[in-house]
Amino acid sequence: MARRIEINPVTRIEGHAKISIFVDDSGKVESAQFHIVEFRGFEKFCEGRPFYEMPGLMSRICGICPVSHILSSAKAGDAILGVTVPPAAEKQRRLMNYAQVLQSHALSFFHLSSPDFLLGMDSDPKNRNIFGVAALDEDFARRGIRIRQFGQRVIEVLGGKRIHPSWGVAGGVLKQLAVSERDELLTWIPEATETMKIALGRFKSMLDGFKEEIQHVGNFPSLYMGTVNEDGYMDFYDGRLRFADGEGNIVADGLKPWRYETFIAEASEDWSYMKFPYYKSMGYPTGMYRVGPLARCNVVHATGTPVADKELREFRERRWVVRNESFLFHLARLIEMVHSVERMEELLTDPDILDEHIRGRADVNNNVGIGCTEAPRGTLFHHYEVDDDGLILRANLLIATAQNNLAMNKTIEQTAKHFVNPNKLTEGMLNRMEAAIRCYDPCLSCSTHAIGQMPLDIRLVAPDGTQLDRIVRE
Amino acid sequence: MTMIIAVGNTLRRDDGVAHRVLEMLAPLPGGATAKAVHQLTPELADYIKDCKRVLIIDADVDADEPCLQRMETAAALPRTSLGHVVPAAEVVSLARLLYGFSGEAWVCRLPVVDLGHGDVIAPETLTAAKSAALQIRHWLLQS
Repeated sequence: MARRIEINPVTRIEGHAKISIFVDDSGKVESAQFHIVEFRGFEKFCEGRPFYEMPGLMSRICGICPVSHILSSAKAGDAILGVTVPPAAEKQRRLMNYAQVLQSHALSFFHLSSPDFLLGMDSDPKNRNIFGVAALDEDFARRGIRIRQFGQRVIEVLGGKRIHPSWGVAGGVLKQLAVSERDELLTWIPEATETMKIALGRFKSMLDGFKEEIQHVGNFPSLYMGTVNEDGYMDFYDGRLRFADGEGNIVADGLKPWRYETFIAEASEDWSYMKFPYYKSMGYPTGMYRVGPLARCNVVHATGTPVADKELREFRERRWVVRNESFLFHLARLIEMVHSVERMEELLTDPDILDEHIRGRADVNNNVGIGCTEAPRGTLFHHYEVDDDGLILRANLLIATAQNNLAMNKTIEQTAKHFVNPNKLTEGMLNRMEAAIRCYDPCLSCSTHAIGQMPLDIRLVAPDGTQLDRIVRE
Repeated sequence: MTMIIAVGNTLRRDDGVAHRVLEMLAPLPGGATAKAVHQLTPELADYIKDCKRVLIIDADVDADEPCLQRMETAAALPRTSLGHVVPAAEVVSLARLLYGFSGEAWVCRLPVVDLGHGDVIAPETLTAAKSAALQIRHWLLQS
């Protein structure tokens, strides 16, 4: 008898996600689906409001990556004004972006994923958390908190507050960076550098213990998309978009982000409210692509900073690396953190960042503005259409997590087929399903504009609705 | 030192009610300090470590009426680690474990009715906020 296993999170509001695992009559996993209820509330909420309010409004989509929304939104505003952002403002924006990536990746690695790595995927869930990590290594746990604090301190200094800073605006930024502030931020660099050396060394030494996960959690060929500068180096703030395949072959290059609708389309499925973006010229679903750390490490020639480049070279030469394994998102994330710290030091020692000219001013010169940056989870587009008074007629956000939707579904299916025994559900299976999603570090708040926590409830349900088994994680 | 942490998204209507409570309390008596955040995150453990008392104010769909409750130290419960939020009890427990926080931890949960998009708080939620502010002011003065 075919059965459907549902992993159904319970949330306190409309946005939620669930996993359904379909089992065939022979008792094997046949397929799986990752459902995200996408609710485009913020886009509708912004209609009729002045475009210059957008950075502040859009930043409130998320408490983890508000800076990403501010930056993409501000860039869309730049395009509406038709101005060139002064160099000091661009450098501040870049610094802020690196700080954002650093603190977001730190949360993902140290707080969400390190319990799996350090304690084991099948370890007692009572201990498989940050407390278990702290009990094992207090210094490691504190370093994870400290490096997040560094990223947040940069955001606070530049923006005035660490969450939803009112700083990024159309045309530039609002606040000049003071010498004393710059000097204070520089004092964090040595500790951040040391922390990343420890974290990378620790994680690489553990990879041999996760060969099965590397092989069977989201290991499949796909396209990858990311932003590169004119030299083909990693660039989180500006550049052109590049598509590459899992072997590093460039499929499309030099794509202008403001023309994203010419090369990215969205499909719908009747079992999910979230759309499925794909690379248009390859059709759906062949045009599935991934964004985020693994994608960026796949599409770039190099990062452009020495320590990160050394790690990237090693990442590409490791025996089992074909660069299609979703598990390697974690390693790519760490490489990006190293890169971010290196770039932050460069920017902080650049005297241009202290300049007082921080904003270009103009009136509405274009009725369409599209801003694109690399958020921690991948490429983020903000697209605004305005009237001649600058009031928003239409807003469209293409979130990184949405772009990974197809790949996350395939990852869930592959993981379930290998690790889930429908006859005996175990906590370790549940953890591996979650771990599959954690590779992508999805921001379900951004995708769903939801609030609150998302516990998981895995149910084994017979076709007549009878509950046969259940595992709940609050 | 007493710290008050208000949690919530001010553009999700009643979810931002904790921030409104903080506004009602200003200026804070007794030398207390306050922090307004979108969500609770691990590094807050470092901020509360030297406090004698900490109070976390948050909207809660399951709350019936606003009241202050003392949090007991709890070991972390197994929970999904997909979301980027950290429960209040976990922030406190982290502070105790990693930084030796030995103060009192309290929570004030506010009942909410509307979590849609917008910045207007529902009238009944505002009423609850005023009640909460009175309770918290009384609590602050008992030091």
